[in-house]
Amino acid sequence: MIASSLFDSSTVPVLEQVIQFTQKRHDILAGNIANLDTPGYRVRDLSQDQFETRLKKAIDQQDEQRTSYSLNSAATSHGNPINEVDDDFQRMLYHDDSNVVLEEQVREIGKNQGRHNMAIAVMVSQFRLLQAAITERA
Amino acid sequence: MLSAFDIATSGLIAQRTRLNAISSNIANMSTTHNEAGERVPYQARFAVFQADPGKGDSNGAAGVKVSAIETQDIEPLLKYEPNNPDAGPDGMVAYPNINLIQESVDAIEASRAYEANIGVIEITNNLSEQTLRIIA
Repeated sequence: MIASSLFDSSTVPVLEQVIQFTQKRHDILAGNIANLDTPGYRVRDLSQDQFETRLKKAIDQQDEQRTSYSLNSAATSHGNPINEVDDDFQRMLYHDDSNVVLEEQVREIGKNQGRHNMAIAVMVSQFRLLQAAITERA
Repeated sequence: MLSAFDIATSGLIAQRTRLNAISSNIANMSTTHNEAGERVPYQARFAVFQADPGKGDSNGAAGVKVSAIETQDIEPLLKYEPNNPDAGPDGMVAYPNINLIQESVDAIEASRAYEANIGVIEITNNLSEQTLRIIA
């Protein structure tokens, strides 16, 4: 109980959601690059925008109710953005009926990595603060 | 900051498309028949670039996109080869009029431009890492 209130008062639960999302998205983008030459393959992705909107809504709700963060607590008609893979992209098709552009996928995987690293870095500094408080030395 | 990634990536895609067109021109420098098998010599292809504000930011920075692949329309190179099955009644064979020097220089330029865009991505990546160092 003490531990849960200890973490809930920090941004660690939010960062946990961000890291979970970026890890899932990394898997899916890696799948796109692996299928670069697969005929008929369509690009798949997770919606960063939808995730951020849902996360913001969950944070706002938590601030009001002082409950723990949960993406599922933000009730919308859409499902969980972490599980919702979007493969309905309107884009150019190549002659082999696939639509993967290597550069775009590498860019997205790079951006995703940046977000992941940022969340990890913030989390590390949060834990360092916590450690300092527990051991009473910085 | 992140729009620099989008802009540089659009540059990568555009330059790669251009390099594809150049390699097509070099590969077809002796092609005397078109896609349908008719006796029409190959004409050089060029990628036409267009500024793309959709990939830029609100301050007017723009990405680039390939608006069209244009086909050159110039006179073929006529060579007298009466024994060639492709020769016309006058014994002349129509070859594509491809300037190999120009294509080679364009290929170097395209690959340097590709590298430059990669450089921009690396710099932007570096900047993000530097920013992250403030908190970590």
